[in-house]
Formats: sequence, C-alpha cells, structure tokens
Amino acid sequence: MKSHRERFSAPEYLFFAALTVAVLCLCVCIGSVNIPLGETLSVFWDALSSFVQKFLFHKPADFPEGTVSSILLTVRLPRVLCVALSGAALSLAGAAMQGLLKNPLADGSTLGVSSGAALGAVIAIAFGITFPSLPFAGTMVMAVIFAFLSLLILLALAEKLDRSLSTGTIILIGVIYSMFVSSLMSIVITFAQDRVRHITFWTMGSLQGRGYADAAVLLGALVLFGGIILFHARELNAFAVGEENARHIGVNVRRVKLTLLIAVSGLIGICVSIGGVIGFVGLVTPHMLRMLTGPNHRRLLPASLFGGACFLMLADLVARILLNPRELNIGIVTSLAGAVVFVFIFYRTRRGSGC
Amino acid sequence: MKRSVKCTKTLAAVLAAAMLLALTACGSKEDGQAPSEGTVSSLTEQDSGEQSAAEDSAEDAAKEEDGSVTVTDMMGRTVTLEEPATRVVALTPSDCEILYAIGAGDTLVGRGTYCDYPADVLEVPEVDSGSETNMEQILALEPQVLLMSTMSQTEEQAKQLEDAGVHVVISDAQDIDGVYTAIEMIGTLMGKDEEAAAVIDGMKASFAEIEEKSTGDGSQTVYFEVSPLEYGLWAAGSNTFMDEVADMMGLTNCFADLDGWASVSEEQVLERNPDYIVTITMYYGEGPLPEEEIMARPGWENVTAVKNKAILNLQNNELSRPAPRLAEGAKMLFDFVYGATE
Repeated sequence: MKSHRERFSAPEYLFFAALTVAVLCLCVCIGSVNIPLGETLSVFWDALSSFVQKFLFHKPADFPEGTVSSILLTVRLPRVLCVALSGAALSLAGAAMQGLLKNPLADGSTLGVSSGAALGAVIAIAFGITFPSLPFAGTMVMAVIFAFLSLLILLALAEKLDRSLSTGTIILIGVIYSMFVSSLMSIVITFAQDRVRHITFWTMGSLQGRGYADAAVLLGALVLFGGIILFHARELNAFAVGEENARHIGVNVRRVKLTLLIAVSGLIGICVSIGGVIGFVGLVTPHMLRMLTGPNHRRLLPASLFGGACFLMLADLVARILLNPRELNIGIVTSLAGAVVFVFIFYRTRRGSGC
Repeated sequence: MKRSVKCTKTLAAVLAAAMLLALTACGSKEDGQAPSEGTVSSLTEQDSGEQSAAEDSAEDAAKEEDGSVTVTDMMGRTVTLEEPATRVVALTPSDCEILYAIGAGDTLVGRGTYCDYPADVLEVPEVDSGSETNMEQILALEPQVLLMSTMSQTEEQAKQLEDAGVHVVISDAQDIDGVYTAIEMIGTLMGKDEEAAAVIDGMKASFAEIEEKSTGDGSQTVYFEVSPLEYGLWAAGSNTFMDEVADMMGLTNCFADLDGWASVSEEQVLERNPDYIVTITMYYGEGPLPEEEIMARPGWENVTAVKNKAILNLQNNELSRPAPRLAEGAKMLFDFVYGATE
C-alpha cells in the first residue's frame, strides 16, 4: 500500500536534522559581536561539562562566566533556539494551511491569521487579561483564540463568497481581513500606548531578548500542535485531492478540519505572542521544499519542520549582522525574501503549472 | 551684504506697519524689542559656539516702534507678526516647554498629543500631531501662530495654514545651540526676549558648571537606552542631546559610532560593557522599575554598570527633548555620576 517514496525515510530525516544542526551552529558562532571560533567552542565545552558534572554526577560545578559566555549562553543561544523553533512551527502551520485550503498562497501572514493573533495578544496586554500564576499565558491564550477565530471568519467568508475556494478569492479575503485587523490593532495600541510594545514589534517581529523559557514554551507548542499536524499528514493528502474524496475514503472531514485548524492556530498564536508577526515563513519554506519532496504531506511536513527552522535562523542571522551593530526586525528580512517567492508562485499558478 | 539687504527690507516693512498703526491709532507695547536681526545672525553664526545668541540679540535689536515682531524660523523662513503672539498652537512637547519656561504658557490655545510638561499644559485643548496632524482642528482654535517641527508636517500643510492666516513657525533644534536659538526665537515671537535670555543664561550657567566640575577624561562609558529590551533595544548614538551631555561631563557614549537613535544588538551592549546606563523608559506603576528590569536581564550581570548598580532612569524626557529641561537632565546625570554637589 505505502510505497517507499511516500514516506520521509530515515536517511532523509538524518540529512535534514544534520543540516538544521549545522545551521544552528553557524548561527551561534556568528553574531553581532565577533567571538573567535576557538573561544566559542571552549565556552560551550565548559558549559556542557559543568552541566554534566552538576546534573549527572551531582558535583558542584561553576558555569563559565564573563562577557563572552554571557553573550553566547544567555543572549545568542536562546535566541537562535527560539528562532529555530518559531521557524519550524510557522513553516509547519503554513504547509498545513496550504493543504487544508488547497491554496498554494495560504500562510498565516498572507491570510491575516498572524495579524489576528497579534490583535489578540495586544488586546490581552492592553486590557490586562492575565491568569494569576502564569503572567504570559493570557497573551498566549488570547493570541491562539484570535488566530482560531480569524481562521473561522476567513473560511466562513470564503464559503459564502466562493464555494470553490479559488486561490484568488481566499487571498483577497485574507488581504481585506489583514487590513481590517491591522487597523483594529492600531486603535488598541493608540489607546494603550503605555502598555503595548511598539507597533513594529507586532508587524515586523523580533526575537531579541528571548530566553530559554520562551524556547521551552515554543518547544512544547511544537511537540503538541506540530505533532497533531504531522499525525494528520494522510488526511491532508486526502484533502488535497478534494473534500469529497476524503469523505469517501473514510475521513471525518469536520472533525479533522477542526483539529487541524486548532493546531494551526495554536502554533501561529504562540509564535506571534513570543516573536511578533514574522511574515512569509510558512509560505517560502514549504514551497521551496515541495520542489524537493513533492506534494505528499507525509514527506512535505517533516521537511517543512526542518526547512523552516533553517530558513528562519538564516533570516535572523541576516537581521543580526547585516547592519551591525544595528539590528533589523526579522520580519523585514523574511518579507523581502517572501514577497519575491510569493510573486514567483503566483506567476507559476497562473500559468497553470501549479506547484 | 545679506544683512544690509535684509535691514532695508525690514525697515520698509516697519515703516509700512508703523503707518498703518498710526492710522488705526493702536497703542503699541513698549517692550517690542523685536531683535529680528539677532535671530538671523544667531542662526547663521550658531556654528561658532562661542557667540552668545542672547547677547547678539541685545546688540542688534533694532527696536521696532510699532511693536511688530519678525523672526526667522529654523527653516530660514521669515515670519512677521504685527504684535507679539497671544494665541499659539504648539505641536511639539519641547515648544510647549519653552513657552512655559519663558512665562508665555497662557498664550497656548492648543497643544500636540504628546505635550505633557509642565502639568498645566494638559489643561490646554489637545490637537492631533505627528502623522495625524489635523488642519481643521488647528484652524478651529484660531491661533495666530502654529509652532511645529519639521518632522511632523509637509510643506503643503504649512502652505495651507499660511493661506488661512495662521503663521507657521518651524522650531527644529538638533543640538544644544539649536535649543538656544529656538528659545530665543520663541521669546521674540511672544515679546518675551528678556525672559528667553534669562532661560538661556540659566541653561548656559548649568552646563558651564557641569563642564567645570566634571573630572571625567572620557575613559568611562555610558550607554543611553531609549527603548528597553522587551520593545527591542534602541540606543542614543552621536548627534543626540544625550551624547552632547555625556561629552560635556567627560563621559564617552559607548554607541557614539552610530548616528542618532538606532536599534542595537543586545550582544553589542554586553561587549561594549558600559560603566553607566541611562534609561529613559517610562514607568507606569506596573512590574519592575526600569532599573530593576535592566539588572534582572539574563547575561547582563557582567556589565560594569549592572555590577555597580550604576543605572539611572530619566523617565520624564529630560534628555530627549530640545527644551530648557536639558539642563536639569544634565544635572541629574552629573549628580548621578559624580555624586550630588548640593
């Protein structure tokens, strides 16, 4: 039943994992402050050995100290980790949305789902919606809820206007919806300027100052929601052929659709609440990888996971060092790359060759 | 040469205005010192820092007997009013501060959104400023003069207001000398030259005292944080008031290689390891104080300023606005670095 090529094989997993680790190393070694490679390695070796000593052998050991290790261990590494996890999550969410909507241009940012999540986060901060004991959970939950509502609104509108869910209609609705949500966000920010971060954070994204706690949250979200999406790769394949077809082969369309929408909202909402809106990640990577893996979601989804991580880490690297010592917002870099890819994809779809 | 041409022009204008006034038998004010030439020369000569703009105006003050005032604004435009302004709308916070400092706060009939000092200014009707500047709101207040900076408005908007009979005066100080020019210009405009000169002298005295008492030799560094980590770090580079003030007291701005305010990498701050940190983050009564937030940042514990708890929060824009309070801000920084003197 399952041909060999349908799956993401072990060597392929290994290759992508190795590539991701290589990019991660590169991004940790290069940064705004130039630290010699030898010093970088020794700091990590010391950190690793003292970590092993402390937690495996319960011996007292000091973590390396000093400016260089501060830069590497508390500023650069957690940031790169957050970027990698965000990239993986956004890219996976993008690939899932493209499958679900049968639309190659679907992505959190093109459809306004990310903007919706940002609106939720901004509202949570502006009106002080928090859960006691979990100070940041309010923002995250609101972002996830708003991402989900955005998806529902988009689907409902698309269904009403154009039952065939053609590419153009969905994108048009997405653009209108993004603009609407962005202006709502501007209004909220105008009224709560003292609490809410500057608007560029929400529109252009930044992972500056993120720590290990944020990385842990992202990892949790990726395991949970990302796991759900990966688990539904077969159903996504069925959707790609058509909902009727999916129903015929025994997929509970409503339930699966709902599950996937929740998972996508969860990923986008949590990414946005931590790093702001980082556009086009979910669009660029699945497309580049589709050329490599083909349209089968069982191969595309795992590849997107790794590919997204690599793409965003490299984009962040550019944002960090291009104008050194200044820093760019990461969204500026991804949008620059993304807009070009978007036009390319649109051109190809229009010519009927599809993707 | 230029000046003499201007002089003739002004004289003609003065004569014409005087005749008009004589006809209408309008009582003119005695204090109409109108040092139009003073403003012009201080503008052209502001590069030679030695020259005192205030003295200049006293020397050149061609007393205009009809009480009309002429100023050259900071874009080089000449504006003549028949008498010192009594109804003013100011869009930038610094211009509002200058108006209050020279005792002309009661002439304000409208203020820009972000004008918040002194507290009295909040009683003045608010108009949208910046990119949302609303011409109708301004015209409805029927001001004689609109004070604004170059940042917020376009030439078309200025033209629109001029056509509607509102004099537009641009105040756009880029350095401390520019602030003196702005204060002097606004003083002239309001018929408050002496008060303006007193404010300028006060500022100069404070800065001179700081410069004299400072023992710094430039070896110690200061990092001016204008946006905290949570919002994305921004630092004040060279050509900022903060940089100028640091220079004055013998400190080196550790981001002097950047121009103006710039977003900077967190790694760079750790690497440059400042001896002092000045943050201008506002505190709204929630969460940790800005100083505490900086000290709690992971990885910052090795920064000298954090080790020594040498972090100053100037949260009322003392060092970010081109206004008389720059002197206060400088004094606060001086006291913080060298210990209180009084």
